[in-house]
Amino acid sequence: MSDAAPTTKKRFLFPRWTNYALPAIAVGLMGGMFYMPTLFGLGASPKTTAVGYAPEQPVPYSHAVHVGKLGLDCRYCHTTVEKSAFAALPPTQTCMNCHTGIRPDSPALQPIRDSWKSAMPVQWVKVHDLPDYAFFNHSAHVNRGVGCVSCHGRIDQMDIVAQTQPLSMGWCLDCHRAPETALRPLDKITDLGWTPVGHPYANGETDKEKAQLLVGEKLKADYGTREPQYMTSCFTCHR
Amino acid sequence: MSQIEHHQTGVTYWRSLEQAEQAPEVRSLIEQEFPSYDPSGMLNGKSSRRKLLKVMGASMALAGLTLTGCRRWPKEKLAPYTTSTENHVPGEREYYATALELGGVAQGLLVTSFGGRPIKVEGNPSHPMAWSVKGKQGSSDAFAQASLLNMYDPERSREVVDRTGAEPKESDWTKFTAIAGDIFGKVKGTGGRIAVLSEATSSPSAMDMKKRFLAAFPQAKWHEYEALSRDNELEGSRMAFGKSLRTRLNLEKAKVVISLDEDVLFSHPARTRYAADWAEMRRKGDKGEMNRVYIAESTFSVTGTVADVRLPVNPARLENIARAIALQVEVANVSGGEDLDKNNGEDRFVHSAVADLLKSKGASVVIVGQSASPVVHALAHAINAKIGAIGTTVTLIEDPAGDRPTHLAAITELTKAINEKKVDALLILGGNPVYDAPADLDFGKALASVPASIHLSHYNDETSRACKWHLPRAHYLEAWGDAKAWDGSVGLCQPLIEPLFGGKTPIEVLALVSGDAVAAGAVMAGAVMGGEQIVRRTWKEQYIKGGDFEKEYRKTMEAGVLENSASPAVTAANTATSYPATPAPAAGFFVRFTLDSHAYDGRFANNAWLQETHDPITKLVWDNAAILSKKDADTLGVKQGDIIRIDGNGRGLEIAAFVQPGQPVGVVTLPLGYGRTEAGSIGNKLGFNTYHLRTTAGMYSISGAKVSKTSNPNYTLATTMEHHILDDFAMKNALDKRIGAKGETGMIVRESTLEQYNKDPRAPHKKQHGGGHSLQLFNHPSKFNTPNAWGMTVDLNTCIGCNACVVACQAENNVPVVGKEQVLYHREMGWLRIDRYFKADTATYEKAGDDPNPQVVHQPMMCVHCENAPCEQVCPVAATMHDTEGLNTMIYNRCIGTRYCSNNCPYKVRRFNYFDWQSKAPTTGWPDPYVNFPDKQQLDQIDKIKAMVFNPDVSVRMRGVMEKCTYCTQRLAAAKITHRNEAFKEGKPQGGGELLTDGSVITACQQACPTQAITFGNLNDPNAQVVRLQKNPRAYDVLGELNTMPRTKFLAKLRNPAEGASAPARGHASSPAPSTMSPSPSSSNGSTVPTPSVG
Repeated sequence: MSDAAPTTKKRFLFPRWTNYALPAIAVGLMGGMFYMPTLFGLGASPKTTAVGYAPEQPVPYSHAVHVGKLGLDCRYCHTTVEKSAFAALPPTQTCMNCHTGIRPDSPALQPIRDSWKSAMPVQWVKVHDLPDYAFFNHSAHVNRGVGCVSCHGRIDQMDIVAQTQPLSMGWCLDCHRAPETALRPLDKITDLGWTPVGHPYANGETDKEKAQLLVGEKLKADYGTREPQYMTSCFTCHR
Repeated sequence: MSQIEHHQTGVTYWRSLEQAEQAPEVRSLIEQEFPSYDPSGMLNGKSSRRKLLKVMGASMALAGLTLTGCRRWPKEKLAPYTTSTENHVPGEREYYATALELGGVAQGLLVTSFGGRPIKVEGNPSHPMAWSVKGKQGSSDAFAQASLLNMYDPERSREVVDRTGAEPKESDWTKFTAIAGDIFGKVKGTGGRIAVLSEATSSPSAMDMKKRFLAAFPQAKWHEYEALSRDNELEGSRMAFGKSLRTRLNLEKAKVVISLDEDVLFSHPARTRYAADWAEMRRKGDKGEMNRVYIAESTFSVTGTVADVRLPVNPARLENIARAIALQVEVANVSGGEDLDKNNGEDRFVHSAVADLLKSKGASVVIVGQSASPVVHALAHAINAKIGAIGTTVTLIEDPAGDRPTHLAAITELTKAINEKKVDALLILGGNPVYDAPADLDFGKALASVPASIHLSHYNDETSRACKWHLPRAHYLEAWGDAKAWDGSVGLCQPLIEPLFGGKTPIEVLALVSGDAVAAGAVMAGAVMGGEQIVRRTWKEQYIKGGDFEKEYRKTMEAGVLENSASPAVTAANTATSYPATPAPAAGFFVRFTLDSHAYDGRFANNAWLQETHDPITKLVWDNAAILSKKDADTLGVKQGDIIRIDGNGRGLEIAAFVQPGQPVGVVTLPLGYGRTEAGSIGNKLGFNTYHLRTTAGMYSISGAKVSKTSNPNYTLATTMEHHILDDFAMKNALDKRIGAKGETGMIVRESTLEQYNKDPRAPHKKQHGGGHSLQLFNHPSKFNTPNAWGMTVDLNTCIGCNACVVACQAENNVPVVGKEQVLYHREMGWLRIDRYFKADTATYEKAGDDPNPQVVHQPMMCVHCENAPCEQVCPVAATMHDTEGLNTMIYNRCIGTRYCSNNCPYKVRRFNYFDWQSKAPTTGWPDPYVNFPDKQQLDQIDKIKAMVFNPDVSVRMRGVMEKCTYCTQRLAAAKITHRNEAFKEGKPQGGGELLTDGSVITACQQACPTQAITFGNLNDPNAQVVRLQKNPRAYDVLGELNTMPRTKFLAKLRNPAEGASAPARGHASSPAPSTMSPSPSSSNGSTVPTPSVG
């Protein structure tokens, strides 16, 4: 009986369109192979993170000349960096202290002289611009052994200030997790060319990175630098 | 209803009558987080959900095409100063002392300035009427906190307006000065009459300018009008002493306070000082003694909510009560006062009040409210003299403006003069008489007939529009000036910013029109210099006569107040020989006018912060309403929101009704200050103009009014009293467990009487074990205490629900307002709310059909920073995490807006940004469609002037993120960074003291609180006050049984009921005593007496 009875179970047949599924998946994968690297590549590119961002300023002020050649200390102009969250830009008066005598007729300095006369500020373009939900405090860093160069790079060699670090959250956390990579003696904060090699804590280590770690570890203990758990708490930077 | 049934349903604590009745709607409020959520309703019916999705889809595609998501944020410009300013560090805050004058009385303030703009108002710790901790912490009130927003109101008037022609046209100060010279010169030349109408002011400079103005124009008449005036108090003191004396209370010495309709903690001009002093006596509860406050009042007031014995009475009965008390303390020449109403408990109230008064002679005081008749004030003076209050709890001082006629007489006289065509030129300095003058005077009509009228005002308001000239007035934060506080202390006011819209102050305008030789030129030359010239001149002549003027002046400027300048106490003999009885009131309803907690007298109508701050008692926002008792509402067949008609004094008003437990039967309360037509886009057309009923015959109450229900459609009132209810309906008896079954104590609110607490410090926690469980399923990941462990306490015993903290939090944390429509969807954004619980046996009033006279507990509620936080466990993206110091952090830039956290929060303290509130105006209607795509950067949309009020240390949140109380983490960070900077500077980075000094971090709510109900500090510091308070036997965790381990502890409330007050309950004569009401007389929680409430 069982032989004669037609089978009630039908074999499942894939619908015809599924014939195209495999090629479609293959094309998708091929596309993905281009898409994903492009996406991540663009995401991490300096263009996105703004490394190298060097906007044109109203006055072509050269840090290379003033800091590198003339040897002005950072704090000569950015006076509030040790007291305030802001590293304030100098008032026009600071420029005019010297430039009433030096190059008093330079056309490049016209905006400065205009500002001095009209008492209207020179409108500089912000280079290192953090998102508004990240609250960076200069005084909390420069008073605790983090040098200017760690975030701003060799300003003393720049004619036009450019951003050298990504200033991304991951980049901030690198340091907040391992502060020994950036700590330096408190009198070397504005010394952009300082090297840990030769510091007594470096024990004669000549490799710069290794020396930094040796110096950093000891300074961390000296300064009583906070634990990474504390420094990576969200409210440390976001409020 | 059987005893058992009652036990299950008789709710002890409830927030609204509906909840007390266990209405099913309230249950749904608890079950759903956003109960009124209705996506299609959201679109105002103009659109559909489907359309919204279409728009969203299309916009998203567009957004993708234009790559709005992949761009560098806008180029930012940096503008340094041109010359360096001494002692100014860009990016650091600066603090300036000044004062806010409200109704002629100054409040000393210390205002924070950031980058040249004022961003926060606090009380001045150097000011004797403002400090809560002398020299360290100053407190303020909600109005002072919110006054900052008025300064940045883009709708403030910006130019001089000339309405002499057919069309109003813009003008300027130069043109005005020339024309004013013409007007006043001509009037003077022709012997015409000039009148000045000023708002009340205590400023010595203004008084000086007044003198100079009157000297320049001898025929001029000066009038002073204030809608919320203390005229009766002035009259009462004239009746008692024959001259105007001011009563300065010393509540820190008062063991017994008997208030007759005086809202001394909320409506009095010296409220912050008085609240602080009252709290000092209240805190002594921990040492076994506490003050006792009796209040007989005609409307539910803030003082009434914290009184130990409260008697709701008809305003007409107050005089009788005063007479009865006077009679019993043997004041001479008193008659009447024998017929006390036994049915509503007047006799018992008077009896135990008098017993207490006599027991603590010299440490008791009787105070009388501004609405009570002069006779009652005079009686109180006599009683106070008799009980030895003068010199101890009461200091009598000269009234700085004592020689003035009453405000009512002044405005009446002026209107009469105008109507008789005796005024040729009228100069109105501040105020808004067209809106708030007594309605029967019809001041607006009279004003129109004045040939030359000038109005100086912050807004182009109702009065400005009826005048020929409007002048923009400088905000107090933009102005030089001086003012006197309630105790007579004189202080200087200094500007924190140049006038944003070119406004000038009253003293400057007076200098201009009177051609003052010293000042007029300076007023025109510099925006703010003129005012300073005037103030300096006055101070040189009156206050700093000898010595180094500059040094003393600057010292005073820095402190904000002249040292030891409080008025000296005067002694005055009570010369009253009789206390004439006020004629019996006509039968019918009493209408009682009060200050409004949002609008004051209408002047804060355009202040969105205040509009959205819930009223301390009704919890109404964005509206006023006629407040009715439950019994009257039932008789009239009125439900909440029904439009009723009130007829009185020949005038009628239609207004929405609000049913308020504890309101005396037969009294309708009408808060003033709403129904503005020219307030601005926020304040226009909100609520009902109750001034319409207010006439010269009844400035504070009207008797014999008729109230009837109308057939007008129901008006939607937005009240937050049922929002964010912490109760539970999920399990059987869970409700009882949370809010406390009858006679027991719950998980939310705890209280006890002083007597029981003295016997057993665990009394407030009856049958509840302490919070937290010792056995844990999982190990706690951390103790969250390195290097600090932040914690807070909130003392329910001293909280008066005044809302100062609520507005302070809003200002500090850039909290947006959402508008009435959105509040109705439960979307208000305030991080700190004050839950107001009524406590009365609902069964009693259900059975008796009577009005309960509930007791009240105010419970400020904000994130309690659970160590075991339920919100953190459900966040899919870890946007809310614990930091090492115990803060439950909320990271806006990580939040994706699932709202799981707020759903899981048992305290209901998380707030979600449904829209980009900051860039929208809360009442002008919302752009349609609701959601704008593609997004613009916030700064493109937020009004540039409005954005100036933001605290730069706190993120301005965008749409789609959750937010909540952060324990003012920005203040913590600032204090910690400063502390460590100093340690490094001293060369001892490690030994720089890990602990911050206690009190170096003060949260915004704590700072504003006049009663110091909120304490914050480091739990690692054994000497910190917060540690001491957390060990107080009254301390408990709200919902502690959920094992959330909150860092904020609450201190149970103590009540100090009068002896013998828990006598058997008695309802109104007409209502049978409820059978289910059978608490033991000694049970504090079982006191179910309808009136008066005790214990």
